[in-house]
Amino acid sequence: MSGVESTKDMRKGEDVPGSSLGIPKADDFGRSVSKIAVAQICESVGYQGYKESALEALADISIRYLCDLGKNASFHANLAGRTECNVFDIRLALEDLGDSHGFPGASEIGNCLVGSGIVKEIVQFVDTKEEIPFAQPVPRFPVVRSGKLIPSFEHMNETPPGKHIPSWLPAFPDPHTYNHTPMWNERASDPCADKIEQARQRRKAERALLRLQQRLVCNGSTGTCASSVLDAKTENIQEAGSNPFLSAPLQQGEKDVSEVVLPAKLSNEVSKGDHISLLDAFVPAIDAMKTGPSDRLDGEKTFLPEKRPSVQFKFKTGKKILGESLDLSLQRKGERSSTFLLPDDERDDKKKRAEFILRQTTEYPMELNQS
Amino acid sequence: MNHNQQSNDGKHDDDSALSDFLASLMDYTPTIPDELVEHYLAKSGFQCPDVRLIRLVAVATQKFVADVASDSLQHCKARQAAVVKDKRDKQQKDKRLILTMDDLSKSLREYGVNVKQQEYFADSPSTGMDPASRDE
Repeated sequence: MSGVESTKDMRKGEDVPGSSLGIPKADDFGRSVSKIAVAQICESVGYQGYKESALEALADISIRYLCDLGKNASFHANLAGRTECNVFDIRLALEDLGDSHGFPGASEIGNCLVGSGIVKEIVQFVDTKEEIPFAQPVPRFPVVRSGKLIPSFEHMNETPPGKHIPSWLPAFPDPHTYNHTPMWNERASDPCADKIEQARQRRKAERALLRLQQRLVCNGSTGTCASSVLDAKTENIQEAGSNPFLSAPLQQGEKDVSEVVLPAKLSNEVSKGDHISLLDAFVPAIDAMKTGPSDRLDGEKTFLPEKRPSVQFKFKTGKKILGESLDLSLQRKGERSSTFLLPDDERDDKKKRAEFILRQTTEYPMELNQS
Repeated sequence: MNHNQQSNDGKHDDDSALSDFLASLMDYTPTIPDELVEHYLAKSGFQCPDVRLIRLVAVATQKFVADVASDSLQHCKARQAAVVKDKRDKQQKDKRLILTMDDLSKSLREYGVNVKQQEYFADSPSTGMDPASRDE
């Protein structure tokens, strides 16, 4: 609609119930459509704008007028002994509604339809006024949804239980909906077979875990590990044919266990990047260990790799830092050597540690704030 | 006999006039859509399969609303003319014709519809009273 605006009413207390507020009412659609129609009529009369409350009031009154017309027309039809209204009923209804206002020919009786003053006015209106069709297409409303009916006895091809019940009534619900019957577990359970199955699955899981661990360890070693080693290892386990955890413990010296590789700051060689590790605390114990395993270091090939990756204990909250530390541990296994740290290099390493901390604070200020 | 013939002719004329009128109705598309009219008529018990009667009711309602709107437009224009006489400045502001509750209630009074609104809302019972009486 061109040129028609609405201005908000000054008094907010009379604000529209239902248009901007939540609760939808049943008649909202009809009311909004009639609001549009009334606004169009006002525009044709000559208005350039309207107040929201005034338009609502006028729309409400026009709806009431419409309903009153219908009520009066049906009243007159019923008075004449009919259920369907015709044009004379409408004319009488119009005259009833127009009585308060007055129209020409009100006092005359025995008029035919077209002689009635009101109808003449309507005819005049139709002839003079130009046609303004409604702005948008309106669907048929209200939409009638066909409800789901409960099928009757006939529908279900059932005979009603009892002669007093006709077959066109809705059928009774199925007995399983209201009868509670005891339940039996149909499956035959074999406890023996179940246990065997459980043990088999556990074995499978353990094998997979072992393989994974070996693969991780292999990636960090300096090359003594080969894929063939893994295969040999698994073959051993399979040959045993039983749970490795249940096998007899190895005697000391049977198996070569890789030495614990201390972190860079404890090692002889200077390596880049410091990791703060709890192994600091165990330096005396590690020194004691030094003497034993160092004899067997040289040139022995073992099934398992010589170096075990160092354990990094980091107690920070930031996710990034943890991830970084993991990556670092994987990357730097190659650089690590099997030698142990002498106390002389501690000062240099402390400096490096401080640098590392500084770098981390600048790169990840968020984590520091959190902690 | 003559009288009867006259009335018979009259009836024929009236019938033709009526059918003409109803035919003319079908050409005219009322602003109020048919579906809306059918919905509210069905609500009030009006049963009719004929589309022309629906159109007739729609046209009658449109005429009623147009009458009310034109009456309130007259009130609005009269108000603006009265204001212009006093102050010529306001002529620029009030050029737009806006449908307000005041004009609507004045025009609806003639149709027997009472739409009265509060002129103002008071905070307390003593608002607007003389200061002397308020102190008491």
